[in-house]
Amino acid sequence: MSDFEMSGGDLEQMYQEVILEAARNPHGKEHFAPDLASEESSQGAETTVRANHEYCTPGESHQFNPTCGDEATVHAEVSDAEPSTIERLVWDGHGCSISQASLSVMVDLVEGKTVDEAMKLADTFHKLMESRGKGLNDEQAEDALDDGIVFQGVSQYPMRIKCALLGWEGMKDAVAKALTAKEK
Amino acid sequence: MTDFAAIRSQFPILDQEIHGHPLVYLDSAATSQKPQCVIDAEAEFYRTINAGVHRGAHELAARSTMAFEQARAKVAKLVGANSAEGEEEIVVTSGATAGLNLLATAFGNASLGRGGETAKRFALKPGDEIVVTKAEHHSVLLPFQELAMRTGATLKWIDLDDEGRVRSDTADEVITDRTKIVAVTHVGNTTGAITDIAPIVRRAHEVGAVFVLDACQSVPHLKVDFHAMDVDFAAWSAHKMYGPTGVGFLYGKRDMLEALPPANFGGSMVELAWMDKEAQYMEPPARFEAGTQPVAQVVAAGVAAEWLMNIGMENLEAHERTITDELLKMGDIEGIRILGPRSNENRIGTVAFEVEGVHPHDVGQFIDAQGIAIRVGHHCAQPVHRHFGVYASNRASSGIYNSVEDAQALIEALGKVRPFFEVR
Repeated sequence: MSDFEMSGGDLEQMYQEVILEAARNPHGKEHFAPDLASEESSQGAETTVRANHEYCTPGESHQFNPTCGDEATVHAEVSDAEPSTIERLVWDGHGCSISQASLSVMVDLVEGKTVDEAMKLADTFHKLMESRGKGLNDEQAEDALDDGIVFQGVSQYPMRIKCALLGWEGMKDAVAKALTAKEK
Repeated sequence: MTDFAAIRSQFPILDQEIHGHPLVYLDSAATSQKPQCVIDAEAEFYRTINAGVHRGAHELAARSTMAFEQARAKVAKLVGANSAEGEEEIVVTSGATAGLNLLATAFGNASLGRGGETAKRFALKPGDEIVVTKAEHHSVLLPFQELAMRTGATLKWIDLDDEGRVRSDTADEVITDRTKIVAVTHVGNTTGAITDIAPIVRRAHEVGAVFVLDACQSVPHLKVDFHAMDVDFAAWSAHKMYGPTGVGFLYGKRDMLEALPPANFGGSMVELAWMDKEAQYMEPPARFEAGTQPVAQVVAAGVAAEWLMNIGMENLEAHERTITDELLKMGDIEGIRILGPRSNENRIGTVAFEVEGVHPHDVGQFIDAQGIAIRVGHHCAQPVHRHFGVYASNRASSGIYNSVEDAQALIEALGKVRPFFEVR
């Protein structure tokens, strides 16, 4: 990509191939939520998607970044059996390549994991995004994030950290709602 | 002929590199940069004459009051308003948003019966109408939407055409005998389109409604004359016209300001105050300037107004039109859609656009990496974006210091966006 005359390769570091590819063909994306960019849709109301699996309890969370309009509705289904496991994780929304790729990578990382494992990953990803481009200095944690580590470059840009965290916030909230519903 | 290269050199901030490239600033619709004379004026005020205005009797207080009032007069001259003592038509505010909220609050107070007989022209009740347009910045839409909700009035709006221009031709239908307030943007902050306000002003006055103009995007770029335009009120900010932040101005026809009840209460706006009786408020503009004013910034804004008049708004308009010509060429790049008028007629050098397949945040990041500053997001105008079927966009906007080369640098960079993000 040398023909783009970027400054010190910062841009390439941010937009790594994994991110561009995931943004183009995101995993876990389905169409079930209203769109705030449409005049017909008066508000980003949460949808009422039922659990696909009868043995699961669903939870849903609508996340929105008012500065750029990125939005993601994350739908998580948590197993009724213990330990609580995220059996299904899908989302709908639109946004920049960072937010879309982050959602996609998150689905790959978290679906099928126990809630405890998922929360630990969310915590590790959060720390990566707070690292100001320096990374985690923890090989085990970096390995656990797998493709998620490509977002290290994004953490240099304070204005973009929220983009990368949008989906993860939605996942945490959706799972928390599912757990609350499950206890009832 | 005006030497715009020399004018550019008066802006010290522009003489720097961003990400290894010379800075190209194309975000003047968000805020303009400041010439050295404005920066110096603010510091000089603090160095030599800082004191409270309209209070105290010492020499510095007198000098600062004089400087403050001279600044008001310069700003008044820029927009064709009166400034003679007792006839002032310019109110100092903390910004355009504050000015528009001041109006909406004052109209609300009038609706509650405050301000006596003369304020009744501003009073709203259920069944009355407030008319705005779909092109409004949130700072126009929201204060008047809230006012409608507080008073039970109905909020209506004038629609936009496919290019995002205000449908002035529908003013006669939308504005009815029940309409009491009409608030319209002079230049769309997203589309850059200049509103044909004459038919709207005429219709508003025909039905006895008050006409409010959002002049934020016109005063810095066009020669405006509020008397000639016959608007009743107009609000704009200093920071977009090469002045400091934290200052704005509210124009009101003298009889309108005299009839308008106050919105903010406190020191320096009251003649007589008692514990057990209603206060007696000052005449405009003091009635609307409660509390300590940002004096140094107002003085510097006056310097900005004078600086603009010395250059000549007609010269500035002609210069910026050449930049707009160049910016509009982005519409020829495959995959770029301009959200606003494609032709350089009745528009300014504010050009919003969409790059098909690339989110505005990603476009902005790519452009920024080449040292070019543009705005991304909804520019505080969500309804106009929904009109175009998008939530956010990119926006390049020119200022006095831009050159045709600046616009060319952007066009060149924009041509590389879709290839970089591998959009086919």
